[in-house]
Amino acid sequence: MRILVAEDDAISRTLLERTLQRAGYSVIAVENGAQAVAELVKQDAPRLALLDWVMPEMDGVEVCREMRRRKEQAYKYLILLSSRESKGDIVAGLESGADDYLTKPFDLDELKARLRTGHRILELEDHLVEARESMRFQATHDLLTSLWNRGVIVELMSHEIMRSRRERSCTAVMMCDIDHFKSVNDQFGHAIGDDVLREVARRLHNSVRSYDMVGRYGGEEFLVALNKCDPGSAVSRAENLRTLIGGRPVQTANKPVSVTISIGLALSTEFTECTIEELMHEADMALYAAKAAGRNCVRVAQPAGIRSHVEEQPKETQILMP
Amino acid sequence: MRKQIRSSAVGTTPQSTWDLEELMERLGGDQDFLRELLVMFRQDARINLDKSLVAIGTGDYERLSRTAHTLKGMLRNLSMGTAAEKAAALETASQEKRQGDSRQLLDELVKELEGILPDVEAHLAGAKP
Repeated sequence: MRILVAEDDAISRTLLERTLQRAGYSVIAVENGAQAVAELVKQDAPRLALLDWVMPEMDGVEVCREMRRRKEQAYKYLILLSSRESKGDIVAGLESGADDYLTKPFDLDELKARLRTGHRILELEDHLVEARESMRFQATHDLLTSLWNRGVIVELMSHEIMRSRRERSCTAVMMCDIDHFKSVNDQFGHAIGDDVLREVARRLHNSVRSYDMVGRYGGEEFLVALNKCDPGSAVSRAENLRTLIGGRPVQTANKPVSVTISIGLALSTEFTECTIEELMHEADMALYAAKAAGRNCVRVAQPAGIRSHVEEQPKETQILMP
Repeated sequence: MRKQIRSSAVGTTPQSTWDLEELMERLGGDQDFLRELLVMFRQDARINLDKSLVAIGTGDYERLSRTAHTLKGMLRNLSMGTAAEKAAALETASQEKRQGDSRQLLDELVKELEGILPDVEAHLAGAKP
């Protein structure tokens, strides 16, 4: 494990450095507090630090305060090492944010034991962070497909649409549904059905840009938001998604299964007065139209009064008339 | 019982001690490392003593306190207990700006180190002190 040693006295620094190296540590040694902070805020900084109290430029107590003020992502276990041994000094040292306090000259066995305590605390912190991140993921993602779950995708989309309205850009909302998915489950079983859902999710996710969003809306329905989208190319992008799914079978655990999707598309620029719920409803209505038109196609929602584009669309893509 | 070196150099205080056995135990018997530390000490002790003498001459008690603190640390690390105690007392006296005590303690510290440094030199020269 890596450890930072901050000590201005060359003899103490060398003694600590060599002792810790013998104990199996990889040591970074610095001469003052400012250098210690510079090392501790680096991307791959050591998580464990031994800090002398009295140092030029910035003392050990100031280093502790500065590190706690910064609230670095990865917790740093800070041990103050000082020849100040009064009760008042120890309390002041710990109050500054140090995790432990050792007096000089250090006893090797005690130092090793204290460092092991530091390891345990850091490991515990790592486990807690891991558990928190796992819970956060589970709370925000669909467990089967690992896409955003319904609550999160709707909320993200809501923020995105508000942003696009402020910036006068366009967000394309696509409601995608796997055609005849029930028959996949009935014919091949739910395990194969899950394979199909995972693969469709993967293809959708991999086909959009990093700043677009894909979520599982429910059962076999997926919600896709293309942010800062050129309204003129939204339909062709929806067509790309459709052919990406229907173009080749899904390789499941047992056999290849061919599925297609229907897509209902609504552009935020066409529904400037709508709430996110109303816009999603428009996309949903367009999806129903796509289903009614025989499935495996794209339908585009248009505001009332715009009907002239209907005949200009290709067979697979038609504008939905309200 | 620990073996302590009691300096016999002229002018040193009778309490001048260097617990070499305790130091070697902490260094894991590494003679090369001991030499490395003693070379540093020989240089740094003199530098810090000079700084202390300048500081007391100019009445700079903050600086005197800092150098006394540094000396205390290095002396404790090298098991030079009596000298470390003198440095600790000097640090306290200078923090409290006690001019007379500071001057007296610095004199005592200088004498203490004058008693130890020949032993350090002897050790570095390869002779058993």
